[in-house]
Amino acid sequence: MNPIMQNPLEQTRRHFFQDCRVGLGAMALGTMLNANRDGAIAAPGTAQHPLSPRPAHFAPQVKNVIFLFMAGGPSQLELFDHKPKLQNMEGQVIPQSYVENKRFAFLKKDAKLLGTRRKFQQHGAAGAEISECLPHLASVSDELALIRSMSTDVFNHGPAKFFMNTGYNRFGRPSMGAWVTYGIGSESRNLPGFVVLQSGPRGPRGGSPNWGSGFLPTTFQGVPFRNQGQPILNLANPQGVNRDRQQQFIEAVNDFNRIRLDEVGDPEIATRIASYEMAFRMQTSAPELMSISQETPETLALYGAEPGAPSFANNCLLARRLVQRGVRFVQLYHTDWDHHGNKGTELGESLDKITREIDRPAAALIKDLKRLGMLDETLVIWGGEFGRTPQGEPRQYLGRDHHIEAFTMWLAGGGVRRGITIGKTDELGYYPVEDRIHVHDLQATVLHLLGLDHLRLTFRFQGRDFRLTDVAGKVVPKLLA
Amino acid sequence: MTRSGKTIDHLGWITRSLACLLLCSASGRAAAAQIDFTRQIKPILAAHCVKCHGAQKHEAGLRLDTATTLLDGGDRGPAVVRGKADVSLLIKAITGNDDAISKMPPEGPGLNTKQLALLKAWIDQGATPPAGEVVEKPNVDHWSFRKPQRPDLPKQVGETEAHQAIDFFILQKLAERSLTASPAAERSTLIRRLRLDLVGIPPTYRQVINFVDDHRPDAYDRLVDQFLASPRYGERWGRHWLDNARYADSNGFTRDFAREMYRYREWVLGAYNRDLPFDQFIVEQIAGDLLQNATPNQLIATGFHRNTLINEEGGTDDEQFRVDAVADRVATTGSVFLGLTVGCARCHDHKFDPLSQREYYEFFAFLNNCDEPTIEVPYEWQIKEGWLTERKSIRQRIAELEKQLAQKSDAFASAQQTWETALPPEERAKLPGPTQEALLTDLAKRTEEQKKLVVEVFKKSTEARNAFPEVDQINQLRRSEPVIPTTMVLQKRGESRQAYIHRRGNFLDRGRNVRAGVPAALHPLKSTNAAPNRLDLAHWLASSDNPLTPRVIINRFWQRYFGRGIVETENDFGLQGSPPTHEKLLDWLAAEWIHRDWSMKQMHRLIVTSATYRQSSKVRQDLVELDTDNKLLARQSRIRIEAEIVRDNALAVAGLLSGTIGGPSVYPPQPDGVFEFTQDPKPWNTEMGEDRFRRGMYTFFWRSSPYPSLMVFDFPNSNVTCTRRVRSNTPLQSLTLANDIQFVECARSLARRVQHESSPDFSAQADFLFLATLARRPSLLERNALAKIFQQQHDAYAADPVARQEILGLPEGSPENAADKQNELAAWTAAARVILNLDEFITRE
Repeated sequence: MNPIMQNPLEQTRRHFFQDCRVGLGAMALGTMLNANRDGAIAAPGTAQHPLSPRPAHFAPQVKNVIFLFMAGGPSQLELFDHKPKLQNMEGQVIPQSYVENKRFAFLKKDAKLLGTRRKFQQHGAAGAEISECLPHLASVSDELALIRSMSTDVFNHGPAKFFMNTGYNRFGRPSMGAWVTYGIGSESRNLPGFVVLQSGPRGPRGGSPNWGSGFLPTTFQGVPFRNQGQPILNLANPQGVNRDRQQQFIEAVNDFNRIRLDEVGDPEIATRIASYEMAFRMQTSAPELMSISQETPETLALYGAEPGAPSFANNCLLARRLVQRGVRFVQLYHTDWDHHGNKGTELGESLDKITREIDRPAAALIKDLKRLGMLDETLVIWGGEFGRTPQGEPRQYLGRDHHIEAFTMWLAGGGVRRGITIGKTDELGYYPVEDRIHVHDLQATVLHLLGLDHLRLTFRFQGRDFRLTDVAGKVVPKLLA
Repeated sequence: MTRSGKTIDHLGWITRSLACLLLCSASGRAAAAQIDFTRQIKPILAAHCVKCHGAQKHEAGLRLDTATTLLDGGDRGPAVVRGKADVSLLIKAITGNDDAISKMPPEGPGLNTKQLALLKAWIDQGATPPAGEVVEKPNVDHWSFRKPQRPDLPKQVGETEAHQAIDFFILQKLAERSLTASPAAERSTLIRRLRLDLVGIPPTYRQVINFVDDHRPDAYDRLVDQFLASPRYGERWGRHWLDNARYADSNGFTRDFAREMYRYREWVLGAYNRDLPFDQFIVEQIAGDLLQNATPNQLIATGFHRNTLINEEGGTDDEQFRVDAVADRVATTGSVFLGLTVGCARCHDHKFDPLSQREYYEFFAFLNNCDEPTIEVPYEWQIKEGWLTERKSIRQRIAELEKQLAQKSDAFASAQQTWETALPPEERAKLPGPTQEALLTDLAKRTEEQKKLVVEVFKKSTEARNAFPEVDQINQLRRSEPVIPTTMVLQKRGESRQAYIHRRGNFLDRGRNVRAGVPAALHPLKSTNAAPNRLDLAHWLASSDNPLTPRVIINRFWQRYFGRGIVETENDFGLQGSPPTHEKLLDWLAAEWIHRDWSMKQMHRLIVTSATYRQSSKVRQDLVELDTDNKLLARQSRIRIEAEIVRDNALAVAGLLSGTIGGPSVYPPQPDGVFEFTQDPKPWNTEMGEDRFRRGMYTFFWRSSPYPSLMVFDFPNSNVTCTRRVRSNTPLQSLTLANDIQFVECARSLARRVQHESSPDFSAQADFLFLATLARRPSLLERNALAKIFQQQHDAYAADPVARQEILGLPEGSPENAADKQNELAAWTAAARVILNLDEFITRE
């Protein structure tokens, strides 16, 4: 036997580093190497792990991201943006100067203004104004950077979600988590780099493209973890195959693959061998991850999590466990915030219910991360695809339509200024009058915190260099610590 | 055509101007001296404006290099109002008096007072263009915009009988680098490669044995003919086309309701199988409805551009999503047929290619003028069997019964009221929200919609069904109506829709009107219509003068066979695209294709019979440095097979694959929990019969939650066109192959074949397993590895009867007789599972 072939896997790996970009599987790698043209993003460390960690463009402030996606569009006017004037003008038709040339999903132009029924109060040393709906979050308000002046471009759920996640309002572009793992890989060797969790009555509108990899290799797409049963599709061994037999199976597969690698010399086979090894590790690590009953009763109580009863609380705890295990990007969807004013979607009981569902767990996540010393290396993002109109929507109960001009999100964690409120809206809460922050600006800032320059994190597709922020976006210095 | 259209307009204009000029001169010499554009104005514009608004670059759609283009104006309309300098956009822009345009030129000193005065005077005098002015075409000398000329075959280096034209081009390049081609692959590799490429299924055990022993000189050619004649060839290559067509079974976006498009899929398969010439293939898909006496099949073909998404979310602006769909059609047409990134010019002029934003909207105008109906497309046999007449008579009977029921409307209304009053609240609470709301509304105040909702519910009640037998009779009849397939098509629009430039791509911000036209840098449009239409576009695309389409499509064929196109950026043949590795070969292929009347099968035969295709794919150490990416093709490539083929292959070797071709989409098993992440759970009645084992291309494709095992292997998301799939290699793929119930079912079935179809000694069984799956016999090392796993699992299952039952998929409590036989079967199942997971099994060598 040729001596260099004695350890084909090792040989191929070394080979691959040096000069060997043979075969098609190398295409994915080749494209990452493209990002290397400006010398910023290094190639992945080994042929085996396109997800292995890579240095960023510059020193990162945070390692991981947890994005709490409030699907449906929460009402900033009930939660974060207190507008006494709106209260005074309730019932009046909105001044036409506000709505000229504007389009809405359901509202007519003569819709009447609606004040909030919720009481606001200042909280914490910084005096952040937060409504009574979110007492727990109010208690950690000094950790938050509230952005009251978010704005987006599209006013339907699906497109607006794609816009927030992918920077573009149609299907088919890579999502933020995909861009990030494409850029800097993931620390986890046993779990995917980008994980998606879901709670609430239904899945988010638009489905998988929200965490898709678009034109990036599928390695970078978000992997949905399910709340019940097996967290990952096909994670469990088939019936009649126990762990020992599965291990024998994987070993046998890789024995044959090594023989073949020796025979044809294609490094793609080495990658395949590594994929089987990681799959096998995932079969243990994913169920272990999901079993939150290992946590102390205090921790479970902090979140309000209950093992076996899927909830946003359980997912927040899982998010912490995921980043603890090195997973780079975790996204939690919680439905349904679409408070138009029908039964079940009004701003009364329905809003109470959903704010109760998220308030304690979201605050617990901040406290828990802080307690574990992880808040400095984690970025937590909270928000939906858009906000809600100052006008009420004439339905059965109190409700508001989709609003894209101004809505509230918050960030917390490493590199983010704590205890600040950025941006101001006009007296009706309609338009930002200070520090308008567009979705692309937020995306640029998130990448910046991870040490990535949004202008340089690109991928060539159909003749153009694409990026998360499309053709816009500016990092927001005010948000940075 | 637009270009020449413009010229005609200008001729008319020039004639009028000339008349004016004559009148003016006649009116005496007292007027200010007539300003001469060429001598006095053109130099000013050349100095200050033409850098950005010239023949090469025309920002904002404006060219100021000639008076003709100046008068035609830019995206905002005419640059001057003849005779009125002060209100002319050009003057406003130069003097900085326009709100929307910053002062021009943006850099440099700008026009001095004298120059400005001259320009104004020229406009005030009527802005007369010089007689016979010629408008220069943008000068683009780019290889792919020139019509391919059939090159001479290169000097025939190292020629043998095995070589043909394609090989000469390849060998020439190799010789230039002092490289040699690889030897032909082994016969077993060759038959597997060929059948996977042409049919998408590995060769059967029998086919392999026969071919390896077939020593006739034309054995391989016979194989090629046999595979090309298989109806499964149409499935294999049709599916590639469906990637381009972004085919799916649902509407996309958030609601993502089901749609019926499978007749289009069938049309594509059929077109490949009957070798429809590619030019006709184009014309029928782009404009089949506009052909004279269009056949139903030609209507179905227009489904190509109906595969766009439809947004059914409440509160959307229909026009926005219609425009988006048209834009998608433009981008798709550009990528698929022209290999150009036409979509890039939607918001601004193309940054690199000679394609202005205006030209984009001229192209857009072709596709902006259709209605989008859904039509019934009965099969011939349905018509013959009288389905349509039967349905007609059923509908007549229903109409009669409805009439009877209407005559009892008073009784019906009062029965309904009684039922409503008596309806228990808990029953009411079970009804859908809108129906509950309707019930709460006073009878007199209900909208028509609400009345209908309540009547529908009432009709389901026992009360209604007992009192009015017609209700059940009608329902029964409805259920018995024969269901005729429908499909979505394009149809000429009665009233034509004006197209505009959308400034910055915003459909609400309309710039100047445009008419349908093609980019000036490409071959001219031939149309006899005053307003060119979609059919003209189709013929333009399918024209033998088209420099791009034949190259682009043949390049994609090449990409399928070698893993990479001759032009690697297969969807960008523009200035930013990568240059061809073998330009002459590509030109030769394109010219040859047209010469062979666009026959796809002939081109496939040409490529797969080349020595280049038949080479071994083994990685060669000498090439690793000299040709890292295997661009010169001194060997074949190893290609991981496509998502749908991964499963098809497992089903085929297991002997489970259904032979049915065409028809509606099916629902094979998928893991639980797929719909937890969608807005609405999707219907998925897992097939229990033959449809469980149909080819993957027939699996129902929900855009918002596609079939997981397809997506894991990089199936396109089918929202936008896909002309080249990514090939990833991930742990999720391993989990799918290892644990998905379908692959376990395949392993079981394959194990049974090993037991039943080969003689009962291990060596013969090992041979059978390898030949059936990998088309070759195992090496000694492999035989040992197989023996090891077999023995290991044999012992394990012998000691664990419960696990044995489970791995064999036997129902609990099945008789345990013949335990030996069962142990062996369990061990073969485990071994088969290993083989189905091998890199080689999912690779075309």
